[in-house]
Amino acid sequence: MNKNIYTPDLAIITKVCDEAAGIKTFTLEFQEPEIQKSFDYRPGQFVELTILGVGEAPISITSSPVNKGYLELSVAAVGKVTQALHLKKEGEVVGLRGPYGNGFPLNEVKGKNTLFVGGGIGLAPLRSLINQIFAQRGDFAKISILYGARNPALLCFMNDLERWTKIENSEVLLTVDVPDAKWKDNVGVVGSLLPKIDIDIENTVAFVCGPPIMIHFVILDLLRMGFGENKIITTMERRMECGLGKCGHCNIGKSYVCLDGPVFSFQQLRELGES
Amino acid sequence: MKLLNKANLAPFLERLRPEFEVVAPLYEGQDILFGDLDSSQLATDFIGKPRLSPKEYLFPQRERLFTFNVCPESIEIEAHFNETKRVIWGVRPCDLYGLKFLDLVYLKDYIDPYYQARRANTLLLGLNCNEAEESCFCSSLRTGPFAKEAFDLLFTDLGDVFLVEIGSRAGEKLIEKGANLFNLATSKEREKAKLLEEKSKKTFKTSIDLGKIKAKIAAASDNPVWAEEAVKCILCGGCNWVCPTCQCFNVEDIKAGHKTQRIRYWDSCQLGGFTQMAAYNSRAAQAERLRQRIYHKFSYNPDKYGGEIGCTGCGRCTDVCPAGINIAYILRRVANE
Repeated sequence: MNKNIYTPDLAIITKVCDEAAGIKTFTLEFQEPEIQKSFDYRPGQFVELTILGVGEAPISITSSPVNKGYLELSVAAVGKVTQALHLKKEGEVVGLRGPYGNGFPLNEVKGKNTLFVGGGIGLAPLRSLINQIFAQRGDFAKISILYGARNPALLCFMNDLERWTKIENSEVLLTVDVPDAKWKDNVGVVGSLLPKIDIDIENTVAFVCGPPIMIHFVILDLLRMGFGENKIITTMERRMECGLGKCGHCNIGKSYVCLDGPVFSFQQLRELGES
Repeated sequence: MKLLNKANLAPFLERLRPEFEVVAPLYEGQDILFGDLDSSQLATDFIGKPRLSPKEYLFPQRERLFTFNVCPESIEIEAHFNETKRVIWGVRPCDLYGLKFLDLVYLKDYIDPYYQARRANTLLLGLNCNEAEESCFCSSLRTGPFAKEAFDLLFTDLGDVFLVEIGSRAGEKLIEKGANLFNLATSKEREKAKLLEEKSKKTFKTSIDLGKIKAKIAAASDNPVWAEEAVKCILCGGCNWVCPTCQCFNVEDIKAGHKTQRIRYWDSCQLGGFTQMAAYNSRAAQAERLRQRIYHKFSYNPDKYGGEIGCTGCGRCTDVCPAGINIAYILRRVANE
C-alpha cells in the first residue's frame, strides 16, 4: 500500500524563539534524515502540524527553501493546537504532514518590482517568499516591504526587517496602530504606508497577507492605486482538517483552499464568489 | 442475465456467509434500515429507499485512523484498516450513484487508504426501484430509478422472481456460489423489466429541471431563497447526516495514557462550527451555509469531477428535515428565478 496520506512524520523542535507578544518561532527537523532531505517546498505552502494528544492544524511555513536542513513555523497562540505548541520546548517531538497548497508565484514575478504588505503574523508566509527573492536578488527589481501590527510588541521578524532594509534597491516601512513611548515610525493601518512608496505600478506585483479585515482594505487601496486584479496576490485562511481536498471544510467555489490555494490572485478570489 | 426466485434470495445471501459479511435492508419497527442479514427481517418488497444509505459501510460516521503509541524511546504510528469482505444487497440506484460519487472524492488524486480498503472489499448488489416515494427525484438527475452502472449485480423485482444482471466478474463469482438457485433469463423477462422501468418513471411526484439548474446556478448566488429557507433551519445537521454523497469530516485526537487515537467523524456544513477558526468564522450566516450545501452539490462538484453532481436525488434530506426545508423546492427556485 502507498504511504497513508493522513499519517504525519515526526519532527524534533530544535529551537524555540520568542518572536513577539504571544508569537513564537519554532525550528523543526524531521527525525528521519531522509525525510528532512527530501522535504521540498515552495514559499506560501503550509504543513499540517500535529501536537500528539491535542490535534492537527494547518500552519504556513515561514522559512525559505534556501534554508536547507530545517523548517521554521511562526505561530500565534490562538487555538487549541497552537496553544499546545507554545508549551513545547526544545527537544520535544511534534508531527508534520505536507507540504500542501500551491505556494506563491515566483518565476512569474522575475524581473518585476515586488510589493509586500503584511499585517501581524501575516508576515510569516511572506517572509518565506521575501527571503527566497533576496537569495536570488539579481532576478528581481525593486522590493518594497510594508509591515504593520496593532502595537510595537506584536511586530515579528525584527532581525529580518533590519537586514532587509540594508539590501540594495529595497525599502522597509513599518507602522503600528497604537504606538508606545519609544515608537518613532508611522502610526496608522498598514495601508497608510502605501502613499509613501514610489514604484512603477505597471511593473509591480503586490503580495498581501494578514488578518481578513486588513487584506480587504489593502486590496481596495491597491485597486485605487491602479493595480490590476491579477497583480494582487493574497492568501486565504480557512478551516482545514486534511489538507488534501477530502474533508470539505475549506471549499470555496470549485476550489479547495488546501489544494488550489492558499495563494490566490484577487481576480481568482472574485471569481470564486466568497472572500 | 439470470433469474432468482424471490424465495431463494435469503438462502442465496446466507450462502455467501461466512466468506462475506452480508448486509441488507431489514425491517426495524416502522423503518427499513441496512443491517447484518437477518433473513426473518429481510425487506424485499419495499417502495423507495431505506431510511439511511449504505454509506456508513464505506465511510463510517466515526472511524479510527491510527494510534500514536508513545514509548519512552520512540513514537510509533499504527494505522487501522478495515478489510472486512462485505456484500451489500438491496442498494437502490440512488445509493449506487452516491458511492460512485464518493469513489471520485476519495479515490481520485490523493487516495484515502481507509475508504480504499473498505471499497476494495465491498460488493454492491443493486435493487432497481419499481415505484418512487414522494420525495424521490432521481429520474430528474438520471441516477435512477433503474441503475445503469456501478453495481456488481443488479436485481429487478418482476413479482415472484428477480431478474439479475451481472455487472462485474466479482458479481458473477457470487452467482457461481449459488449456481443451483439461479435460472437463465429469457427475452420475456428482459422485456418485462424494460416495461417496469418505463412504468416506474411515471410514478415520480417530484421533479426538477437539471439542465435549467445547471444553466442558472452560476448566476443565482443572490437568490432570496437562501435567506427565506435558512431562517427555518434549526441546525440539526440532519440533511448532511442522511446524505449519500456528503463527504465532509472532522479529525480529532483522543488521548488515553500513552496512546493517542486519531479519529475522524462526519461533519455538517450547516452547522456554525464548520468554518469556525480560532480567530473568526468564514461563513457565519445560515443563508451562506444553505447556499454552500446546494452549490457544493450542483455547481462546485460538477466543476471538479467532470460534470458529476453531488446529489443522488434520493430526497432523504427533505424527508429528515424537521423544519420542512425541501431540496427540490430550493432547486426549482434556483431554476426559475
